[in-house]
Amino acid sequence: MTLAPQSVDEAAALVREHAHDDAAFVFSGGGTDSGLGYEPERADATLDTRGLNRVVDYAPADMVIAVEAGMTLAALQAELAPHRQRLALDPAWPEQATIGGLLATNAFGPRRTRFGTLRDLIVGVTVVRADGTVAHGGGKVVKNVAGFDLPKLMVGSLGTLALIVQATFRLHPQPECERWYEVVGLSAETVGALCRGLLERRLEPSAVVARYEPGTRYTLHVLFEGFTASVDAQGAAWLELARNLGLAAHDPGVDGAPVRDETAHPRGALRVRISAPAAAFAEVDRDVLTPLREHVQGESVAYPLVGTFLLGGRSRDGADVAGALARARTACETLGGNLVVADMDADLRASIDPFGTLPASFPIMRRLKERFDPERRFNRGRFLGRL
Amino acid sequence: MTVTTAAPGAERELSEIVGAANCIVDPGELRTYECDGLTGTRVRPRVVVLPASTEETAAVVRVARRYGLPIVPRGSGTGLSGGALPVEGCMVVGLSRMNRILGVDLENRRMRVQPGVINLDVSRAIAGAGYYYAPDPSSQSICSIGGNIAENSGGAHCLKYGFTVNHVVAATLVTSDGEIVEVGSAAADPLGYDLMAVLVGSEGLVGIVTEAVVRILRTPEATRTFFATFPSTDEAGACVSGIVAEGIVPAAVEMMDALAIEAIVAATGVDWPLDVGAALLIDVDGPLAEAEHTSARAVEIARASGALEIRTPRDANERALMWKGRKSAFAAVGRLSPNYYVQDGVIPRSEIGAVLREIAEAGASAGLRVANVFHAGDGNLHPLVLYDARIPGNEESAEHVAGAILEICVRHGGSITGEHGVGADKAAYMGQIFSDDDLETMNYVRCAFDPEVAFNPGKVFPTPRLCGDRPGPYHAHASELDGTAGRG
Repeated sequence: MTLAPQSVDEAAALVREHAHDDAAFVFSGGGTDSGLGYEPERADATLDTRGLNRVVDYAPADMVIAVEAGMTLAALQAELAPHRQRLALDPAWPEQATIGGLLATNAFGPRRTRFGTLRDLIVGVTVVRADGTVAHGGGKVVKNVAGFDLPKLMVGSLGTLALIVQATFRLHPQPECERWYEVVGLSAETVGALCRGLLERRLEPSAVVARYEPGTRYTLHVLFEGFTASVDAQGAAWLELARNLGLAAHDPGVDGAPVRDETAHPRGALRVRISAPAAAFAEVDRDVLTPLREHVQGESVAYPLVGTFLLGGRSRDGADVAGALARARTACETLGGNLVVADMDADLRASIDPFGTLPASFPIMRRLKERFDPERRFNRGRFLGRL
Repeated sequence: MTVTTAAPGAERELSEIVGAANCIVDPGELRTYECDGLTGTRVRPRVVVLPASTEETAAVVRVARRYGLPIVPRGSGTGLSGGALPVEGCMVVGLSRMNRILGVDLENRRMRVQPGVINLDVSRAIAGAGYYYAPDPSSQSICSIGGNIAENSGGAHCLKYGFTVNHVVAATLVTSDGEIVEVGSAAADPLGYDLMAVLVGSEGLVGIVTEAVVRILRTPEATRTFFATFPSTDEAGACVSGIVAEGIVPAAVEMMDALAIEAIVAATGVDWPLDVGAALLIDVDGPLAEAEHTSARAVEIARASGALEIRTPRDANERALMWKGRKSAFAAVGRLSPNYYVQDGVIPRSEIGAVLREIAEAGASAGLRVANVFHAGDGNLHPLVLYDARIPGNEESAEHVAGAILEICVRHGGSITGEHGVGADKAAYMGQIFSDDDLETMNYVRCAFDPEVAFNPGKVFPTPRLCGDRPGPYHAHASELDGTAGRG
């Protein structure tokens, strides 16, 4: 059964209506990250949020917008563009991905290097609880310490604490100019050296992406954006830095964004999200990515200043992908990070856990779930520890 | 069942854990801990312990829980909302002895520190290497990282760089069971719910942080500062809006009204003009070309907005003096008035002019002056309500005006606190911005960490809230604890 509420009140009423019959809900938005987590144990009703697609409140002078959760990211950006503003988030599939889904999965793109993730952008939230009650957290001002930070708590919770129906964000100005630079044919060590150089030189890129494609070595894409004078100066400094390392870096000479959608893969394809200390780029390349590439055909991108690595593709014929992932996960966890299998086919799902070792704080997480959703009505079993 | 009020065993056990010198029971010495920066309210704690380690902290929590003592964590005691105000019969856990920097990892831009480390000392430790810790509350030379975590402290530069919650990535937490749990991760995206998001800013309600991993940033290549005066706060407010509309994200935009300027000049001797209605102190930073370009544009916008005078510091020394003037504002107001009430509210930035007028009217109608010195970039107001406690009724009037200011902020779509916290001071105002359902939902968070409400009871939530549907706290009788009686 699919339910498609057209308003927050209707969404709350639907949850309440089904509360008596022990129904377990799953939520769906644009479906761009629906493979994340365990398969829900039960899905008596699917609540499709895409009817909740209105702007609730937009005050351009305050650079804050409140929207319903079913609005797509592209639609949100289109509202902001005439005011030369943006939500500083650039994940894959902006035409499909909904705000609620992006929040639930903690989706991100290359610009997290500078702007962080949705937890750094959200300032208010409205949710429908598992008992059908509508509750709010945060507010519509960018600075606010009244009460527990429910907006941030919802980020990455995979719809297992509450149904996100509205969210309020702080916005950033559209840059006057944005320009990507690239350096090709790099070893992992050179990527690390260039990143150290960026920091040393005090440059402030909006994105740094190390892309690896089969048959090539790393290409490093660096995005500077802001006022033209600043972009020009930083671009020149970056080229000098690369040339000083004996590398052929070139100025693209045009504005725009050649690097996008690098995390995009068809549903069901293997997608791996790795987190590790930022400076461990070479170790991750050697101990995690290189062994994985023997079993997985595909490309990988990394945000080396953040310590995030994304690998996507398909299994090579006859490969023991589950075994390779398990070993890669152990290597990540040894470095103090983690490896999440964000999507995979059914066969692989049977043989590898999506998340890995439970953190020491998991008992607190379980108690959170018990408080918010004691009957496990929302996305039952989907989250870490099958909560 | 009542909580035991006289169990000498508790003090003895606590003393064994932290040492007699660090277990304070003397009424005279306890007086130091009767309040924090919210000095108007005082409660004498039953006992104060000053643990030296995570293990000692966990041990004292276990003892307190066995004896049914409420637990109140405390950092430097500079908080302005009474977050560290003792509650009746409580054990205060002072973290000031845990003041060591445990590790610096420049490559990954992380530091591990104990909670008693002073905010400014984090930046000082890494300044030579060209790094700093971004959150900079005005009290940064005395406030502690642990207190900053409890309050999600901000500061002048959070407009561009964010708050404590954006800069603390992991913590060692002593829970209400006296267990030691690692929360969050030094690396990005730890698995599971974002516990750090609720731990930071939890005002001592979920446990005691005994270690923290903080993000450190590369010091910007250039910072440009300028000081501009205006005929009134309206023009200054228009200037702030104009800068933001230009697409500039300044590192800091601080506004001072005439009364605040008068106080700062009198207290610090800075040569700011007195015949103006408002002043802005603005920092822009970043790569050199960025800072040069944005400061030049911001100065043009200030002129176009009606600035009377614009000053740029000639060197780092002059810049430091300007900022010293701003950061000493609260203390300076003490020279204008024997007493003042510090308020902390937030409004949408575009409402600054209208709200300041309403605040002035609220003060005038009570016969009180209100000085304003605040973070204009993010609409975080700090009205200081001046009064004289020797005049009968004056203090009550000031409190009334301070309350009215919060109502004005809420009416304009803002919040009752931007950085000082709710604590004991504003719990009664939470209902102005949150419904019962909202508060009940927030209470789920507290109950997940501390189901028996052992930490900081009575703070933040407007009415006492229990966690329900779980067994209530077990409070042993004194005789049972003394060993003179038992159960079962």
